[in-house]
Amino acid sequence: MDEKRFDEMLRDLPRSFNPPDQPPLDDMWAVIEDAHFNAPASASSRRGMLSRAPWLAAAAALVIGIGIGRYIPSSAKTTDNPLPPSTLASARQPANDSSAVVDAYRDQTSHYLGQAAALLISLPAKNASGRADADFAGKAAELLVTTRLLMDSPAAQDPKLRSLLDDLELVLVQIARLRGDRSKGDLDLIHQAVEQGDVLSRLNSAVVTNQSSE
Amino acid sequence: MNESQLIARVIAGDRLAGRALYDTHAPRVYSLAYRMSGDPERAREFTQDTFIRAFARLSQFRGDAAFSTWLHRIVVTVISNARRSEVRFAREVALDEANLIEASAPEAEPDLKDCIARAVENLSEAYRTTLIMHDIEGYTHAEIAGILGVPEGTSKSRLSAARAQLRQELAAFKE
Repeated sequence: MDEKRFDEMLRDLPRSFNPPDQPPLDDMWAVIEDAHFNAPASASSRRGMLSRAPWLAAAAALVIGIGIGRYIPSSAKTTDNPLPPSTLASARQPANDSSAVVDAYRDQTSHYLGQAAALLISLPAKNASGRADADFAGKAAELLVTTRLLMDSPAAQDPKLRSLLDDLELVLVQIARLRGDRSKGDLDLIHQAVEQGDVLSRLNSAVVTNQSSE
Repeated sequence: MNESQLIARVIAGDRLAGRALYDTHAPRVYSLAYRMSGDPERAREFTQDTFIRAFARLSQFRGDAAFSTWLHRIVVTVISNARRSEVRFAREVALDEANLIEASAPEAEPDLKDCIARAVENLSEAYRTTLIMHDIEGYTHAEIAGILGVPEGTSKSRLSAARAQLRQELAAFKE
C-alpha cells in the first residue's frame, strides 16, 4: 500500500472501521434506571440509603468503630487527642497515634475483604433457591454498607483498594437485589461483572497484601 | 437547567434529570464503545456499565474537569478492563484450540477491511485508544489528554506512532 492509498484509508476510517449503529437509548436507559434508581441499595445514593436507614449506618459504623477501638493500643487511646472508638466519623479526625488508626483500619479492611471474598466464592452458579437468594442478598446488603463506609474512610486512600471497593460496590448492589423471582440471567450478569472486573483475584490479592502488612 | 444543576438533581435521586444527563452524553459514549469493541451488544453493555458507575460515583465528581471528560474516563476504563479480561481468556482458549486450528483449512486471503481491523487490533492499548478517539471519533488532542490523563504532546506522539505502525503493517497489503 502506497502513501496516497494509506492516507485515503485513514480518511475513510470513520466510515469503514466499526461504524456504530443507532444507539438503543431507551433499552440501555431501562437497565441503567433499574440499576441506579430502582435498586433498594442504589449505588446512586449512598448518602440517601444511609439517611433512609440511619440505624443501618449506625450499626455498621458501630461495628467498625468498636473493631477499631478494640484494635487501637491503650496508649493510643489515652493520648491528648483521643480517638472515640464508636463512630467512623470521629475516626476520620487526625489522631496523635496515626499508625494505630491505620493498623485498625487495615484490620477491619482485612476482615471485610475476607467476608466479601467468602460471599463471592459461595455465590451459586445458577438455580439457587429463593431462600438462598434472600440469604445472599441480606449478606450483600450488610457488606454494601461496610463497603460504602470504607469508601469514605482513610482506608480508601490506597488507589488499588479504592478501585476494588468501587467494583465490589457494584457487584454487591446486584447481589443485594437478588430475589426469588429473579430472571435466569441475573446470576450470570453478576458472575460476568465479577469476572470482567477480575474482582475475585483482586480481592484475594488485597487480602494477602493486607495480611502481609499487618 | 445547566449541567451542574442536573448533576445535583441526579445525586438527589431525580430520575428525569438522570435521563436528561444520559441523553446528552450517551450517544457519544456508545459510539466510542462501539468503535472500540466492534460489537453492538458489548457497546451496549459498556455504555450501561459506564452510566451505572458514573451515577454511583456522581457525588465524587468535583467539577475539576468537564463532566464529559470525567464520564469518558470511566468508559475508557470500563472498556480497558473488559479487554484485559478478554485477552486473558483468549490466550487460554488459543492454547486449548491450537491443535484444531492446525487441522483446519487455510484461510482465504483477507481483504483490506480485515487487514485494517487486524492492524488496529495489534496496536498497543494506548495507541489504539488514541487512534480511535482522534482519527475515527474526532476527539481533539486536548480532549484525549484530559480523558487519558496525559499531556497533549503525549497524545500527539501516540497518534503519530500508531499511524506509523499501521502504515508498516499495511505496507505489504496488495489490492
